[in-house]
Amino acid sequence: MIWDKIKIKAVLPHREPFLFIDEVIEIEGTQRVVAIKILRDSESYFKGHFPGNPMMPGVLIIEAMAQASVILFSIDRPAVAAEHPDYYLGKVKSEFMSPAYPGDKLIIESKKVKFLDNAAITDAVVKVDDRVIAKANLIFSIQKK
Amino acid sequence: MSNNYEEEIRNMVSEILEIPIDKLTPDADFFRDLNIDSLKAIEIVAAFEKKYRIIIPEQDIPKIRNLRQVVEYTAPLNKEPLS
Repeated sequence: MIWDKIKIKAVLPHREPFLFIDEVIEIEGTQRVVAIKILRDSESYFKGHFPGNPMMPGVLIIEAMAQASVILFSIDRPAVAAEHPDYYLGKVKSEFMSPAYPGDKLIIESKKVKFLDNAAITDAVVKVDDRVIAKANLIFSIQKK
Repeated sequence: MSNNYEEEIRNMVSEILEIPIDKLTPDADFFRDLNIDSLKAIEIVAAFEKKYRIIIPEQDIPKIRNLRQVVEYTAPLNKEPLS
């Protein structure tokens, strides 16, 4: 483990049940991070999505990729991140290959495409084991409070 | 603005901004006239960097405010596009 929950929460404004990064396991300079999210049976959304057939909503898989991307941004732009700006997802191009179920360990990888102080683009993929289950190109803005 | 490179840039910006090409005049100000926000700006910058294999320094981005300035700025840096 490279980043634990304490360090993650120091960067991400999200909190449970809307925090979708458990740990950061790999940091490649300012170019790439790999994070983990374990899908526990107790995740609140499994109850309704869907009764008797629980799976993680695709929008939350996108959210996990966005949160990993914010962590990568904070590594690239520590001075900007230190001011705890608001991060707004602006545009997403996504593809889903297969569902994520309770018990799955999501391996979330985010790569830098382009970062500016007030906007960022990343490419992200989510794997379960070695299988890619989702990928996305994310564009988000960073706004000082 | 009449050569192929300029027309290619105009088409690319028009597509990213989802603005009809006839509204994308050489001197239309991206921010004042076309309401470009930071998300569209970074999309344009990233598209240029990828296609022409150039790096546009962050401090130069606010100075490029219309299509004419894009062409003037990028033409000297332009290499063969990747596709």
